[in-house]
Amino acid sequence: MTNQTSGSLVESTVSIFPDEDIILKVRDLHTYFFTDIGVARALNGVNFDIPRGKVMGMVGESGCGKSVTALSILRMVTKPGKIVKGEITFYKQDRQKKSLVDEINLTNLEAMGPEMRSLRGAEMSMIFQEPMTSLNPSYTIGDQIMEAIILHQKVDNVEAEKRAITILDGVGMANPKLVVKRYPHELSGGMRQRAMISLALSCTPSILFADEPTTALDVTTEAQILDLMRELQARINMTIIFITHNLGVVAQMCDYVTVMYLGRVVEQATIDDVFYDPKHPYTSSLLRSIPHVGSHMKERLQPIRGVVPDPYSKINGCPFHPRCDQMMPGICDVKVPGLTGVGKSHTVRCFLFSDAVEVTDAN
Amino acid sequence: MPIDISHLNKDDLLLEVNDLKKHFPIRRGTIRRSTGLVKAVDGVNLFVKKGETLGLVGESGCGKTTAGRTIIRLLNPTGGEIRFNDPKLGWVNLENLDRKGLSAVRPHMQIIFQDPFSSLDPRMTVERIIAEPLVINNIARGAELHDRITEMMRTVGMRPEFRSRYPHAFSGGQRQRIGIARALALNPKLVICDEPVSALDVSIQAQVLNLLEDLQRDLDLTYIFVAHDLSVVEHISDRVAVMYVGRLVEVADTETLYYHPKHPYTEALMAAVPKPDPRRRDRPIKLPGEVASPANPPSGCYFHPRCRYAKDICSKETPELLEVEPLHYSACHFSTELKLRGVIG
Repeated sequence: MTNQTSGSLVESTVSIFPDEDIILKVRDLHTYFFTDIGVARALNGVNFDIPRGKVMGMVGESGCGKSVTALSILRMVTKPGKIVKGEITFYKQDRQKKSLVDEINLTNLEAMGPEMRSLRGAEMSMIFQEPMTSLNPSYTIGDQIMEAIILHQKVDNVEAEKRAITILDGVGMANPKLVVKRYPHELSGGMRQRAMISLALSCTPSILFADEPTTALDVTTEAQILDLMRELQARINMTIIFITHNLGVVAQMCDYVTVMYLGRVVEQATIDDVFYDPKHPYTSSLLRSIPHVGSHMKERLQPIRGVVPDPYSKINGCPFHPRCDQMMPGICDVKVPGLTGVGKSHTVRCFLFSDAVEVTDAN
Repeated sequence: MPIDISHLNKDDLLLEVNDLKKHFPIRRGTIRRSTGLVKAVDGVNLFVKKGETLGLVGESGCGKTTAGRTIIRLLNPTGGEIRFNDPKLGWVNLENLDRKGLSAVRPHMQIIFQDPFSSLDPRMTVERIIAEPLVINNIARGAELHDRITEMMRTVGMRPEFRSRYPHAFSGGQRQRIGIARALALNPKLVICDEPVSALDVSIQAQVLNLLEDLQRDLDLTYIFVAHDLSVVEHISDRVAVMYVGRLVEVADTETLYYHPKHPYTEALMAAVPKPDPRRRDRPIKLPGEVASPANPPSGCYFHPRCRYAKDICSKETPELLEVEPLHYSACHFSTELKLRGVIG
C-alpha cells in the first residue's frame, strides 16, 4: 500500500475514511495567484477527504494555504487567483432520507453560475475571522440573514424575518427581536460573531467552513462561541472544517486534524494521534513551539527554525526540509515525499515513514 | 485604598502604583460637551519587583493597555500615584512630572507595542528607527552611534547589514525585533510589553518570547507583560495581575493564580482557556453576558452580574483588593470562603 509508484498512489493512500462516510473529496488541488511579481503557488496539490458530520481541524502557519483551500472549495477564489488543476467532489445527501443524491464535481462548475450559487449558502457556508469586515455595515443584521433565507428557500419577508429571529435565538443572542433591526457596528464582537454564525447557518448547510472564527474574540467569548458550535454541530449533524492556528481550540473542538505546510497536506490524523503520536516533523515542532497552559512547566519554547518560505519561490524536494531537524541529505532535498498511510486513520507525507514519492508534482 | 506593602523591602521594588485612575471624557454634540466618563483605569494598586515579569491580563476593554501606558506617562493619569525607582534619581513620583523631569526618567522606562506593522515608521530605515531614542537623548553620535546600532541589532538577533533597509522588507517577527531593539537602545530598567506577540504566527511567537526571556536575563530587565493570551502569560510571568473593568481583581504569583485562584473571575478565565490536549475536554464554566462597560459599570462588585457565586452584598459594596494570603491579593467579598477551580480540575 505504501510503496506504489504509479499515479494512483495518492488516490489509494490518501483516504483514511470509508467512502460512504465522505462528504467532500479534494484531489490534487492546485490554486495559483498570478500577480505582477510572479506566480504564488498557494496550493500545490492538496489531497484530503472530509468525513460527514465530523469536525475537521486545519492547522498550519500563516501562508500555508488553509484559507485558500476553503475559498477554493467554495469557488470563491477571485482574480488574480485561479484553480489551475484538481478535483473537488461534493457528495450531496438527502437530509431526511440520509441517502446520497448527487456527486458534484465543483471544479467543473462555473464559479458564479447557478449551480454553484445554489450550493453556496444552502449546502456550504463560511464564517470569517473578523465579523466586522465580513458583515455589510449598511444593512441590518436581520436584512443580511433574511437575504440568505429568501435566496435559498421559497418564503416571503415576514416568514424570513421570523426564521431569522429563531436562528438568532438559537445561537444564544440576547433580544433577537431587537438585534434584527441593529446594524453590525451597534453590536459587540461576540454578538457580531453570533450574527455571523446565524448568517452562515441560516439555511442549515451540510458543510460549514469556520475560518479562525474565534481568533478575534476574548477567551470567555471564545468559550461561549465554541460551545455554541459544538452544540449546533451535534444538533444538525453538520460537518465543520475548522481553520485555526490555535492548537488549544483544535484540541477542544476537532475529531480529525489536517496539517498543512506550503500548500500541501503534510499529515492527517485523528485528534488524539496528532497530539499524542504526531509523525511529521512539522507537526511535532508546531506542538513544541507553543506554550501549553496548565503544564506547570516553564521550560524553554522550541521555535521552528526560520520562517515559512514565500510562495513565489520554488523549493526542491520536501518543502519543509530547510527547516526540518531530521532532514536526510540526498533524499529530502531532492524528492517530494508522497502522502502515505501510517496506521489506521493516519496519513503523513515524510520520507521518515515511507519511500513513496509524490508523482503528481507541481510543475 | 492602597495595598499595604510595608512588609516588602523598598529597595527590591522598581515600581509602586497607588489608586491609579485614567478617565476619558465621552464627548457628544457640536460643542463636544462632556456627557460622561469612560473609567478605563479606575483605582489600580500594584507594585513591581526588580527583575520580575508581571503579567497583566484581562479581556479587551478592561483597561490593561491604558494602565500600561499611563504608568509610563504616555497618557496623563486622572488621579493616583506612580512611584518609580530610578537607577540614578532614586524614588521619583511620575504622576505630576513635567516635560523636563520626565525626560530624565524616560530612558529607563520603555514600551514594546503590539502591532509591528503600525508601530514602525515606514519611511525610516532600521538604522534611523533604532538611532532615534539615542539621538534624542544625546547618548551617542557618529561612530559611537553606528556601533551602538550594530550592537542592538545583534542583541535582538538581526544581521547588522540589514541596517539600511525599511520596515516593509521584514517579516512580522523581524519587525517585532526592530521594535524591541528600539525599546532597549537606551538600556531601560522597566519595559512595558503591550501584547508583543499577539500579532505574530505561533512559531514566530516562540522565537520572540525566547528572545524576551534572554534579554531579561542578560540586561537585567523588568517587564510588565500586557496580554490576553493566558498560555503566553503563564509561560513568561513570575506574577500575574488580572484586570476587570478598570480594576485589578486578583494578583498573585503565576503558579498560585493559575492553579489556586481566589477570585471567581480568574476562575472563569482559567476555565475558558482552550487546553491543547484532546484528552482533557472539560466544559468551561459558563460566564454569561459580556464585559461590563467602563462608562456605565454595575454597582458594587463590577463582576457581580456575571458571577455564579454572587450574593446580596456583591451588588451593594465594592470589594477592596486585599492580601488574602501572603502576597496573594484578591478583590472579592468571599475570597477566603470560596473553593475555586484552577486551570486544571
